[in-house]
Amino acid sequence: MNDIEFCRVLEIETATLNLWVEERWIIPGGDHGMLYYGDADLARGRLILDLLKNMGVNDAGVDVVVDLVDQLHTLREQMRSVMDAIRQQDVTVQRSLRRALDAM
Amino acid sequence: MASPYETLGVKQDASQKEIQSAYRKLAKKYHPDLNPGDSAAEQKFKSVSAAYAILEDEDKRAKFDRGEIDENGVEQAQRSYYRDYAQGGDAGGRYRNAGGSADFGDADDLFSSFFSGTRGRRQQTARGDDLQFKLEISLSDAARGGPKTVTLPGGSTLELRIPPGVRDGQVLRLRGRGGPGFNGGPDGDALIEIQVLPDKLFVRDGDNVRIEIPISVREAVLGGKIEVPTLSGAVSVTVPANTSSGRILRLSGKGFPNRHGGHGDQFVTLKIVLPNTPDPQLEEFMRGWEGGGNFNPRRA
Repeated sequence: MNDIEFCRVLEIETATLNLWVEERWIIPGGDHGMLYYGDADLARGRLILDLLKNMGVNDAGVDVVVDLVDQLHTLREQMRSVMDAIRQQDVTVQRSLRRALDAM
Repeated sequence: MASPYETLGVKQDASQKEIQSAYRKLAKKYHPDLNPGDSAAEQKFKSVSAAYAILEDEDKRAKFDRGEIDENGVEQAQRSYYRDYAQGGDAGGRYRNAGGSADFGDADDLFSSFFSGTRGRRQQTARGDDLQFKLEISLSDAARGGPKTVTLPGGSTLELRIPPGVRDGQVLRLRGRGGPGFNGGPDGDALIEIQVLPDKLFVRDGDNVRIEIPISVREAVLGGKIEVPTLSGAVSVTVPANTSSGRILRLSGKGFPNRHGGHGDQFVTLKIVLPNTPDPQLEEFMRGWEGGGNFNPRRA
């Protein structure tokens, strides 16, 4: 969807979206000629609205939250990859990793 | 199902401000996007939001208190959360931020690139850098071409074959002689920019070459054979009798090799030069030369 549709769905002003994009809370896909917003951006926009409207978080707080949320998802993704990689190992390797973790 | 007051953990006579404050606290605690791994958070957040939807609106709150609507009174629309998209390909990695793990593993650790993750999950191969060098050559080397050894800043050398007719500023590319590739990627190229040094005699003009050759008055008047240097050695050239200064002779095929396999030409500009010291005999002759008195080259 384009920016106008995005704003209509979230019931926000285009100026608000521009601010979000400027702050890089929302990063549209595509290039400067044809920016587009997907479901992920929409869900992210709803999170930002929840933070601002329902949770009383101010702009600076949103900035911190989205940054940490992004780090958290990246860590989760890495953790999942590590788990997948461990599952692909020989069962003796898996057991020895488990023992090493238990010993920590 | 719990009453909205119980869900938010407030008394029945709580003020709107207390209700909002209780809701905010719970929303922050249970928002699915702030608990990406907790599947129960979504249900909790949903009931907290539903309870707040009744109590935040004094009208609806009064209706609930009178028993006109129940705790399901305000239907919550189905919605998805950012966490449902964050780890798929939906956002194409635009929100990826490896700041939380960038320090996992030292730089030479087997896993460091996995955690620093700036290149994405899959390790990418990358071509090595192109390295740029400059090589100064003489004009005659540029004309002839041939092998040349370039000494690099590190002390190593590169063997380079200079194509005949190479131009000033032309860049020669030695494939695979640049920086090493990353993760098995191909090595970069060495780019050698040729700088042709100015020559004392010759001036390049495209594929042609120009030279200025001095001749004596005698040679200019009577004509004769003179030696003229070319890029490929001296050749004998006939100066026609009665030659003026500035006359240009063309030596066909004595220029630079061109791209079509041929050669440009050499243009020889003749310049009459008098002896360094005045010659009384020549002066005497000039005074007695009748034709010379009448000839004015500035008049057509």
